[in-house]
This record gives sequence, C-alpha cells and structure tokens, in this order.
Amino acid sequence: MPILQTKKLTKKFGGISALNNLSIEFEAGKITGVIGPNGSGKSTLVNVLTGLLPITSGRIIIADSTSLKKIAAHEMPSFGITRTFQEVRLLEQMTVLDNILVVITKRNVIGALFEKHKTHYLKIAENVLERLGLWAKRGELAVNLSYGQRKLLEIARVLAMTEAESTDVKIFFFDEPFAGLFPEMVKLVVSVMKDLKQKGKTLVLIEHNMDLIRELSDKVIVMDSGELLAEGLPEEVLSRRDVIEAYLGE
Amino acid sequence: MDIIPQLVANSIIAGAFYALIALGFNLIYGTTKFFNLTHGVIAAIGGYTVFFLTTTFGWNIYASAVVGVFVAGLVGYLLEKSLYKQLRKRKASQMVFLVASLGAFTALQAVIAIIFSSQFQTLSIGSWDLQTFNIFGGIITVVQLVTLVSAIVIMIVLGIVMRWTMFGKAVEAISDEEEVAKVVGIHTNKIIGRVFFIGSAIAGLAGILIGLDTGLEPTMGMGLLLKGVIASIIGGIGNVYGGVLGAFLLGFIENFGIWKISGEWKDAIAFGVLIIFLLFRPQGILRK
Repeated sequence: MPILQTKKLTKKFGGISALNNLSIEFEAGKITGVIGPNGSGKSTLVNVLTGLLPITSGRIIIADSTSLKKIAAHEMPSFGITRTFQEVRLLEQMTVLDNILVVITKRNVIGALFEKHKTHYLKIAENVLERLGLWAKRGELAVNLSYGQRKLLEIARVLAMTEAESTDVKIFFFDEPFAGLFPEMVKLVVSVMKDLKQKGKTLVLIEHNMDLIRELSDKVIVMDSGELLAEGLPEEVLSRRDVIEAYLGE
Repeated sequence: MDIIPQLVANSIIAGAFYALIALGFNLIYGTTKFFNLTHGVIAAIGGYTVFFLTTTFGWNIYASAVVGVFVAGLVGYLLEKSLYKQLRKRKASQMVFLVASLGAFTALQAVIAIIFSSQFQTLSIGSWDLQTFNIFGGIITVVQLVTLVSAIVIMIVLGIVMRWTMFGKAVEAISDEEEVAKVVGIHTNKIIGRVFFIGSAIAGLAGILIGLDTGLEPTMGMGLLLKGVIASIIGGIGNVYGGVLGAFLLGFIENFGIWKISGEWKDAIAFGVLIIFLLFRPQGILRK
C-alpha cells in the first residue's frame, strides 16, 4: 500500500522543468531506492516533498488521505516526514546534544517557554547518540565535528524524530547518506536503516552506490531529466539497458 | 575631581538607554541576520503612543506605558508579517532587506511627524519628574533609575529565556540554519514573529523612557538606532550580553571622552570607536 504518492508533480525553475509530470509511489514499510544521473531531479524531488521548494503543479498524497498542493516545511514532521540533506546541514553553533534536544522537546507556546530538558528527553538523546557513536561528543559544537561525524549526527537527528512526542515520523528521506563515510560508518548507517525498516518505517534512499542500493532497496525508481525512467525490483531495473545508458551516458 | 561621580552616573545612564535599544536590536538581528533599521522608529512609536494617550485621553502614565510597549511590539510584529516575511519568502538579498527597512523607517517617521508635528514634545510622571537620588555623589532621576533597572532585568530575563527555554533553542536554531529548523518541525515564521514582537516592545519601552527623560521628536529614531547598533557591534553583534556590555562601554567612552572638550564631540567619539572596532575587532568583544 502506498504511504506517499505524487500525482503529475511538476517543479519548474524559470522555464526549465526539474520535475516533469512525475507520478510515483512509495510503499509503506519498504525501502525505495531513487537513482539517476546528476541533475535528474532526485534532490529536487526530496526538496519538493519536504516543503523546501514550492510545487509548480500536481499534488502529493500522504497515506491515501491527505492531498497537498502546497506544503510548508515545518509541517512535514507533523505529516510524519523527515529528511537528511545531500550536503550535511546541522545547527552548527549548537552542541551535538542540543542538535538532538531541539528536535525532541515540546514546542507549544507554554511548553516551549517552560519546558526543561527533563530526564526522559536526555535519555532519548543519549540512546540516539550512543547508537551513532556520538554520545562522547555531546558537548562539542556541531561545527567542530569531522565530516563523517557530521553525517552521523544528521542521521541521529532524524532518528531522534521517531522518539519525539510531538511527531510520529513514518517516512524518512535519506539524500546520499553514505557519501564520504568510512566503511565502518557505512555499516553503522546500513544497520540503522535496516532497524527502521524492521520497525515498519518507510525509507526513501537516494544513492549512487549500486551495491548499497541492491542490498537495501525493496524497489528502485530511476529518474532522468525530471521524469520517471523505470521502476521495479532492483535486479530487474538495474540490468535494463535504457537505465544503464541513462546512468552511464552510453 | 567632583565631576567624576556625575560623569560615571551619566555614563551608566547613557549605557542603560543604549542597552535597551541594543537588546531588542540584537535579539532580532541574532535571529534574522539583517539590520532592522525600523527598530529606531519603533522606539519613537512607543513614546508617541504614550504622548497620545496621556494628552488626548488623559490616561495615566503607567497604563499608557503598558499600551505604548504593546503598540510598539505590535507594529514590529506587523512589519515582520507584512514586509520581512514576504521578502524572506522571495529569498531577497540582505541589501533588499536593508533598503526595505530604511523605506519603512522613513515612512513611519513621516507619519509620526504628520500626526504629532515635528515639534519637541515631553512626557511626564508628575511629581516624580523632580525626584532625584544622590548615588556616590552622582545625581540621577527616577526615570533614569527605572531605565537602568529595566535594562538589567530585561537582559537577565532574555538571557534566561535564550539559554534555558525551548523558545530560546528554537531562536538559536533559526539563527543557525533556518531550513534545518523548519525540517525538524520548528514553525520558523511564528518564532520570528514573536522575536519581532519582543524586540520591538523593548524598543518601545526605551522610547517611552527617553520621552520621560529628555523628550520626544519624530526624528529621534535614527540617533537611537545608531547608538544601539554601535553598542551591538562593540559588544558582539547578535549576542544579548554583548549588546549590553557594548552599550555601557559606549556610555563611558562618550561621557569621559567629552570630559575636557565640548559635548558636540560625543557622536564623533562614538563613531570613531565604531570604526576602530570595525577595523580591528569586527566580531566585537563577545562573539555570538
């Protein structure tokens, strides 16, 4: 059953279509790999689906019930959607711990003003940071972390959103989460993704590493020039001639 | 040497007024990263609201002051919603923000002059106007004492809110990376609206106290704004404590700078200090 669908989704920058009448579906509880050459519209798709870019035309359907033509980015967690960025984006001048606490602590008017970091919030933050091997770094500013640690902190942040009381995140967009990671870190992120899937979460994985796409994805979507080129099981799709040609430019 | 206690008192008083302007300015700058030039005229709006209510309706000064602070906050909030939010939506450059806020500043200043004339006006707290205190040989008035206490209390409260509450953390997150703040579910426009209300209300209070201390004129905003900006840059732009530190430092530099020379040198000294800081320590004494 699809948990997220796009219907004739179009995103234009001036006269150029980054997404062109794109109709795709993401299955609940599955990992969908999204691949395509650079400039094929993968990151634009994530930016539109998470409200960072406005939709030119078309709509998004969440869980078969909510149909949206306009999305505000801050509302996406309340629709159960979160993401990481291709270029890591953190709250650089905040500590590792605060990068997590700001996600999980209440944020209504009174609650936001008077809420303190109660023990249970700190416990959640500790669990998440321990999972990604960052608990020892909790007091450091995010800006001072190494590249790999920054990537892991971004993943810790989305993981923390599954624990937040105010949101029930069901759909995760990972935009090239393995780029630049050491093999040990790759293993760690792979295990985090498998855990999320086991918990029934829906993952959308944008990735250029085909071995990881094969290992993790239940389904693969191939994009080219903002359009859907192919979709299906990883082995079938990745062996198609038109996909190879589009990807390798042959 | 008898003049020194009074120079110290004058420095502290000037610093307290600059601190009130710098507190609101720094709060808004720290969150949105643009020079909100309308901040100065918002102070004037606070003062003129009190003038209007006391002279037209005969309200007492305290009730008028509460409304004046609220109106200043509301004008700041409405400017954010009707102008700056729209510019953010269009991803306008810093230059566009600066020019837009200069335009809003000029327009609001003109409206004040049209309604209240360009004449100098005064506010009064009745018999308290003449009450003074002698503190270590320096004379200060009730209004000046209230200004000093207000600046310190607001600095402490803002410091606590920014450091210990989730509202403060949300402000910090927006200041750091607005898009990330949105992605984790922070309603950034709502938070920025509140920041504008709070920052502008503080400016409104400053305008009322200045009206009680030295009087009101429609053009008072630019001078106030510039001193608040200098204080913020000296102390550390975007830093709540830095702005207050810079404000008191500026108060002392200005007042001791004119100890042996004409008072007309005050602004030249203030801007000279600004240039020195911009050249040699642009991040200010305390970094954000």
